[in-house]
Amino acid sequence: MTAPLETPLLETPLLETRGVWQRFGGLVANSDVSISVGRGEIVGLIGPNGAGKSTLFNLIAGVLPPTQGSIIFDGEDVTTLGAAERCQRGIGRTFQVVKSFETMTVIDNVIVGALIRNTVMRVARKKAYEVLEFCGLAARANVMASDLVPSEKRRLEVARALATEPKLLLLDEVLTGLTPVEAQTGVELVRKVRAAGITVLMVEHVMEIVMPLVDRAIVLNLGKVLVEGKPTEVVRNPEVISAYLGDRHAVGA
Amino acid sequence: MDTHFAQRRRRDLIMAGCLTVIAALVPLFVKDVYVQNIMVLTLMYAALSQSWNILSGYCGQISLGHALYFGLGAYTTALLFTKFGVLPWFGMLAGGAISAVIAMALGYPCFRLRGHYFVIATIVIAEIALLLIQNWDWAGAALGIDIPVRGDSWLKFQFTRSKLPYFYFALALACIAWLVTWWLEDSKWGYWWRAVKDNPDAAESLGVVVFNSKMGAAAVSAFLVAVGGSFYAQFVSYIDPESVMGFQFSLLMALPAVLGGIGTLWGPVLGAVILIPLTELTRSFVGGSGRGVDLIVYGTLIVLISLALPRGLVSVFSLRKEAAR
Repeated sequence: MTAPLETPLLETPLLETRGVWQRFGGLVANSDVSISVGRGEIVGLIGPNGAGKSTLFNLIAGVLPPTQGSIIFDGEDVTTLGAAERCQRGIGRTFQVVKSFETMTVIDNVIVGALIRNTVMRVARKKAYEVLEFCGLAARANVMASDLVPSEKRRLEVARALATEPKLLLLDEVLTGLTPVEAQTGVELVRKVRAAGITVLMVEHVMEIVMPLVDRAIVLNLGKVLVEGKPTEVVRNPEVISAYLGDRHAVGA
Repeated sequence: MDTHFAQRRRRDLIMAGCLTVIAALVPLFVKDVYVQNIMVLTLMYAALSQSWNILSGYCGQISLGHALYFGLGAYTTALLFTKFGVLPWFGMLAGGAISAVIAMALGYPCFRLRGHYFVIATIVIAEIALLLIQNWDWAGAALGIDIPVRGDSWLKFQFTRSKLPYFYFALALACIAWLVTWWLEDSKWGYWWRAVKDNPDAAESLGVVVFNSKMGAAAVSAFLVAVGGSFYAQFVSYIDPESVMGFQFSLLMALPAVLGGIGTLWGPVLGAVILIPLTELTRSFVGGSGRGVDLIVYGTLIVLISLALPRGLVSVFSLRKEAAR
């Protein structure tokens, strides 16, 4: 294991990306992205399509290594670690396109996540059931994952990630494409997650839903950090408006 | 919900116990050597298919090259016995261990391949191994190895007068393969394997080291198949490359599981009980050149099953249960 770079004091951020670049051939998906997420925060990562949000997410989750730069989690440089090892360190994630284990039951899906912390099956099963209750899916525990409706599948993604007992939960558009009622349930779930002491970094499209929820918003555009700050300030920022709606709309703001 | 799950596990175990007792009593009533022979083969293929199912059914890495491990088991036992006088029991363990190691050595490059590319690799590797053995003079090359008969004994695992000892060993082998699967099904490995099969990316994000999971499945699967191969060498007492490492063995291991239900606990057993007697009977009733006919029967069955019951014959039972609920 890599030696901690600094003592993980409460003041040090839980997650930090330092000058992260990601190039896919000629395409620069992330250029010099430096962000930090403090302990206990809910941070929203927003930006128009193609801004590099999902790439940054994948870099943080360890799906691919950055072309350049480093990722510090909980005081440890995790840049070279793979996804499974980062999960072990305490990074949990959901996928934008849900990736349930379709031939398994709902509870079995969650057990896969729980097994990383405890390999005694009875304990893992109990833990998985508790997580399902937390996420409001306990009634569907023995249903096949393939039989869930889309909003339930989203919650299953969250439940599975929570079962790994993450310190940081990465939510990739979990609220997108839901009905207003479902989205509201989702918002409450995210609040509950934070209340349980888990830091949340979420990519989201729908501004109306995210803005009241997050403590801080980071706006990406064309692979770079455009602005970051309080959600109320960010939405009024002319640069943000022009990135989303084009220059003409920014004039009035 | 906990009890529901525990009940199902216990019910499976009790059912397996009952079936074993019934199977063990069958030879008391069936004295016909030809029928006993079919029973031995049925049990052996049940065990082989159950082992194949661990890698290909649970972990989802479809191998059509398991004849390699079958042949390795057979050859290791036969060579150790004929050349060095090592008892087949040790040969079995040695064959299993060698197969497990080779499975992992081959898995190292091959598990980076996905889907069809992996399947093709398994076929090609098994064919290469077949060619190598066919040209290996010390191991008898294409002529194979005649295992000398040294009299009936459990120590040398040779029986000329009766098929019964083979029958009971094959039964034990099927039980062991089933029990290993049963045990693994509700273990960290079982869950990881199914997760890897369904979605490797999601599995990795939940802390499953996908590559290691596949390696583990390959090792267990190859070990058990090789033990089956060792048994087969003793059972037929003469082996040649084509008769223990031919492509048809890879198919014969896969088909019962596919027919019965791939990735299920009971699929391989059910599939073997239906398929193997059927093949043997068509082979003897449709004439000597029947090697093609049994494969036609197979093919037809598989096509029908995949059309009507894509999840295999065992899904009939779960469907009925759902309807009863």
